[in-house]
Amino acid sequence: MFSTSDTIVAIATPAGRGGLGVIRISGPDAARVAGALVGRATPFKARHATFARIEVASGVSGTGDHVVVTFFPSPSSYTGEDVTEISAHGSPVVLSSILRRAIDAGARLAEPGEFTLRAFLNGKIDLIQAEAVADLIDAVTPRQARVAFDQLEGTLTAAIGRIESDLFDVIAKLEASLDFPDEGYHFVGAAEARVALASVIDRIEALLAHSARGRLVREGAQVAIVGAPNVGKSSLFNALLNANRAIVTALAGTTRDLLTERAEIGGLSLALIDTAGVRETADVIEQEGVSRTRATLRVADLVLVVLDRSRAITAEDRDLLAETALQPRVVVLNKSDLPGVITEAGVAISARTGAGLDDLIAAIANELAAEVSGPRDQPAVSNVRHTVLLERARAALLCATEALAAEVSEEFPLLDLQDAGQALQEITGRRTSDDLLHHIFAKFCIGK
Amino acid sequence: MISELDVIVIGSGHAGVEAAWAAARLGRSVGLCTLSRETVAHMPCNPAVGGTAKGHLVREIDALGGLMGRAIDATGIQFKLLNRSRGPAVWSPRAQADKPRYAAWVRAELESEPNIHWIIGRAGRIVLDAGRVAGLALEDGTVYRCRALVITTGTFLNGLVHVGREQRPAGRADEPPSRDLAQSIKSLGVRWGRLKTGTPPRLARKSIDFAGGVKSGVFHVEHGDLKPVSFSFTSTMSPENTAVCHLLHTTDRVHQLVRANISASPLYNGQIAGIGPRYCPSLEDKVMRFPDRERHQIYLEPEGLDVEEIYVNGFSMSLPAETQRELVRALPGLESAEMLRPGYAVEYDFVQPTELRSSLEMHRVPGLFFAGQINGTSGYEEAAGQGLLAGINASQSVSGRPALVLGRNEAYLGIMVDDLVTKGCLEPYRMFTSRAEYRLLLRTDNADLRLTPKGRDLGLVGHERWERFAGRQARYELNVERLRRSWVRVEGGARVTAAQALRRPELTLAGMMADGDVAIDTSEQDHLLDVSSVETTLKYEGYLLRQQQAVTRAQHAERRKIPETFPFERVPGLSREMVQRFAEARPETLGQAQRIPGVTPAAVAVVGAYLNRF
Ligand SMILES: Cc1cc2nc3c(=O)[nH]c(=O)nc-3n(C[C@H](O)[C@H](O)[C@H](O)COP(=O)(O)OP(=O)(O)OC[C@H]3O[C@@H](n4cnc5c(N)ncnc54)[C@H](O)[C@@H]3O)c2cc1C
Ligand SMILES: Nc1nc2c(ncn2[C@@H]2O[C@H](COP(=O)(O)OP(=O)(O)O)[C@@H](O)[C@H]2O)c(=O)[nH]1
Repeated sequence: MFSTSDTIVAIATPAGRGGLGVIRISGPDAARVAGALVGRATPFKARHATFARIEVASGVSGTGDHVVVTFFPSPSSYTGEDVTEISAHGSPVVLSSILRRAIDAGARLAEPGEFTLRAFLNGKIDLIQAEAVADLIDAVTPRQARVAFDQLEGTLTAAIGRIESDLFDVIAKLEASLDFPDEGYHFVGAAEARVALASVIDRIEALLAHSARGRLVREGAQVAIVGAPNVGKSSLFNALLNANRAIVTALAGTTRDLLTERAEIGGLSLALIDTAGVRETADVIEQEGVSRTRATLRVADLVLVVLDRSRAITAEDRDLLAETALQPRVVVLNKSDLPGVITEAGVAISARTGAGLDDLIAAIANELAAEVSGPRDQPAVSNVRHTVLLERARAALLCATEALAAEVSEEFPLLDLQDAGQALQEITGRRTSDDLLHHIFAKFCIGK
Repeated sequence: MISELDVIVIGSGHAGVEAAWAAARLGRSVGLCTLSRETVAHMPCNPAVGGTAKGHLVREIDALGGLMGRAIDATGIQFKLLNRSRGPAVWSPRAQADKPRYAAWVRAELESEPNIHWIIGRAGRIVLDAGRVAGLALEDGTVYRCRALVITTGTFLNGLVHVGREQRPAGRADEPPSRDLAQSIKSLGVRWGRLKTGTPPRLARKSIDFAGGVKSGVFHVEHGDLKPVSFSFTSTMSPENTAVCHLLHTTDRVHQLVRANISASPLYNGQIAGIGPRYCPSLEDKVMRFPDRERHQIYLEPEGLDVEEIYVNGFSMSLPAETQRELVRALPGLESAEMLRPGYAVEYDFVQPTELRSSLEMHRVPGLFFAGQINGTSGYEEAAGQGLLAGINASQSVSGRPALVLGRNEAYLGIMVDDLVTKGCLEPYRMFTSRAEYRLLLRTDNADLRLTPKGRDLGLVGHERWERFAGRQARYELNVERLRRSWVRVEGGARVTAAQALRRPELTLAGMMADGDVAIDTSEQDHLLDVSSVETTLKYEGYLLRQQQAVTRAQHAERRKIPETFPFERVPGLSREMVQRFAEARPETLGQAQRIPGVTPAAVAVVGAYLNRF
């Protein structure tokens, strides 16, 4: 359950590419947080559009973005509280990084439906809409269900679950030491607890480093270009980059290495990956390339499956389509300058002439927007939310480790460990003190 | 004998005596209905008071003006502060009790209280009038009228005692169970369940060669603290240790014997259906569920200075008496010990405490209060704490004043009641420090600072206690301020305030005082308390502040009241399952609603939203 007295932030516009995106900040600190974002000390004029420049977080090429800040003082606002709205370019990456900075400035990421809830609580919307509020909040569930569909997210949640349960075990043992001091049991010592926590911290750090979510925001999305040999992957890669990095060749199977290049496309920061042809082959060197391609397929945020529309679809193409069916992808029908024979759905382009590239860029942005964001007033939640929570957990764990190293009594590091646990549980589900006691009693024979 | 009373308390166990005492001290005429004067404040199990978290409860009971702290100070025979090597938040006093003296002390206290009228008899039926409590009928038909009724009958409701395959209806050892009363309570339509607890055999003191056991190394003598600490904030001198306990360990032979006879244990042959406390496992459970553990601790504890019975702590079981005798004699050093009474298990009915409000009054019957083991708890301290609150609130309800409800941030007592009324019991409930989310704020050294002013407001804290407390509180505040403003030089030569210096782990206030670096104002009687609460406040200031902030964050939800008649079923968007969970627990605040097991945050948010419009 969330508090309704602090300041919350979320992306308020529906997911999508281009156009405008709005970040909404609501609560007592709404003006201060917005001021901090645009580096402005003087108060905003009420209900007035203020032009400002915002430095988007690092990784988005250090450039700024022009934004419009509007301040709606309480009670004449959407939620009835002080609200500031920041309109920026609609790129999900830009919006996410503004969101991120608002959180750094002290706002809390809104829970699903929280703006509407506040509006309701403050009498800004009608009683009939209570139902809508319920719907909105229930929307958490379908989105969580999507997690199962989204491979990467699924593994992330599972990984956090495992980390949380190891942490829980340490917490339970430390608690047991406090509650059962004369059992003749040595539940866990400070040194042992620290070793266990070090592993927990390492794994959180690994998650933070590798989580596609965090990276998507910090470094941009990984977009892999895959396809059978000669369909025009390298040509597309170059067309997208407008540079001649990959050797373009008519010989099957020569692009053996993965080539990665950064690009700003349609307001999105992308890491474009050109892969070797995905093809069953006996060639050792090429095989390595192929397996790397498969690995890339697994980690990519988005896959561009390139088909040559001037020739009939092959078994290889079909395999590739099947293999990528469950992950975010765009099917690219290349060589639209030649007569087409393919009936497959996809975005028709010509890497050679550049025809259709705009459509492709739009499709890429759209797919990624759906990835970075969720519905309604909650875009970008799952990823930034997880990152923020993981970072909170890590900070608390480091404090606890320090306290354990200083050999202070268990109840003090436990305070930090509980904070860490809570952060992780916000991702994986709640635990209560009863669960804790169950855990202890299941493991140890306690009591006289 | 008057037949018109303000409050009637049924039962004179640890819950009943506190309830009767509190209501009487608050000026109500109280009828204390009990089976016999001989069993007042009886301890049916271990001869000890306090322990982790339980010691906190006792301090809190005392700070509010209850009996238990003073009773154990007066009659304890060995005192220990548990967790001394850890931080002050988890220090917990514990004492071995002299059972008969403890009971006699409490009884004398009650007998000296003119507002208490003894009703010796067997309570049978709750008398209602227009849905609210109007009186009590004894099994023999006598009717007493009252405006509030507190039921504290412990394990007596349909009690069934098991020793091996032998079963007999009993509230405990040799006392008959209460069936009529059980029937009367159930006829109110309340949800109830069945739990189980057990006790170990008792041995004859003279049959044990303690000195020999110690000499041969099989017994280890357990002493009390060198400087015993008392429980009550009113104590004027530190208590004395007059007894020792002996520690020994089970052996493989004991475990084999248990395994060989396990089919005769009612716990393992299906005879017992009630759920027992896992934190107090029977010997059968220890051996069967934890086969890897090579040995278990057993303590031999005297039941009192002049008592012949020795309590075998850690050896609770319900095997046949003959097997128990064999098992006792299988223990090292007890080869020729004589068993006076076998251990037993007792199954009993309890009322699901989700039927209660935070005042311990039943939702469906105004004027009817429940406290103690009948609410699914286990332990003397848990019972006493609820008894005190139920007695206070019965009195408040009679005089039309608001109930005393303590927050989870204010007292372990508050946590216990909140847990009970929001979650109910699936197994016997016992207090643990891990149940306290604001553990650092709820210490034994500040129980008086937290609660004595509340006890005073109620009228339960007398003049003498208040005077002493007021001085101690004033000194505390002054001393904290003073240490914030006095400067000391620390290692390395830097000058910092005494408050800052205290944050260094190696520095203690006592040490700094001894070195003449700082001085604080203390009273002779409360010197230790004066020093320790000031030191704790400053030394752990950062941590305490964090907990305070967490309290503040949670306050919003804790303060949002949900009216008794709130129509959960009419809240749009709540699933039927959620409606049912809410309807059963009847949360009184949004904070409580969050803690109901199985309730989703979304459901609580929706209730919160609707609440504003209700
Ligand atoms: C065998 C046994 C083993 C236990 N083991 C442990 C343990 O290991 N650890 C632990 O923490 N706790 C243990 N307990 C629990 C602990 O003793 C109780 O929780 C605590 O004493 C309960 O106090 P109470 O006031 O609620 O009830 P009780 O102390 O049971 O008091 C009940 C009172 O009600 C009276 N009464 C009952 N029926 C009627 C009636 N119809 N009319 C009038 N008066 C009536 C009785 O005379 C008695 O005075 C054990 C209890 C038993 C019986
Ligand atoms: N006509 C036409 N030829 C193309 C197009 N894109 C690539 N090609 C040619 O197809 C061949 C294979 O291209 P390449 O990019 O190396 O394919 P890859 O093996 O998939 O990387 C080269 O001869 C390209 O010139 C296109 O859009 N139209």
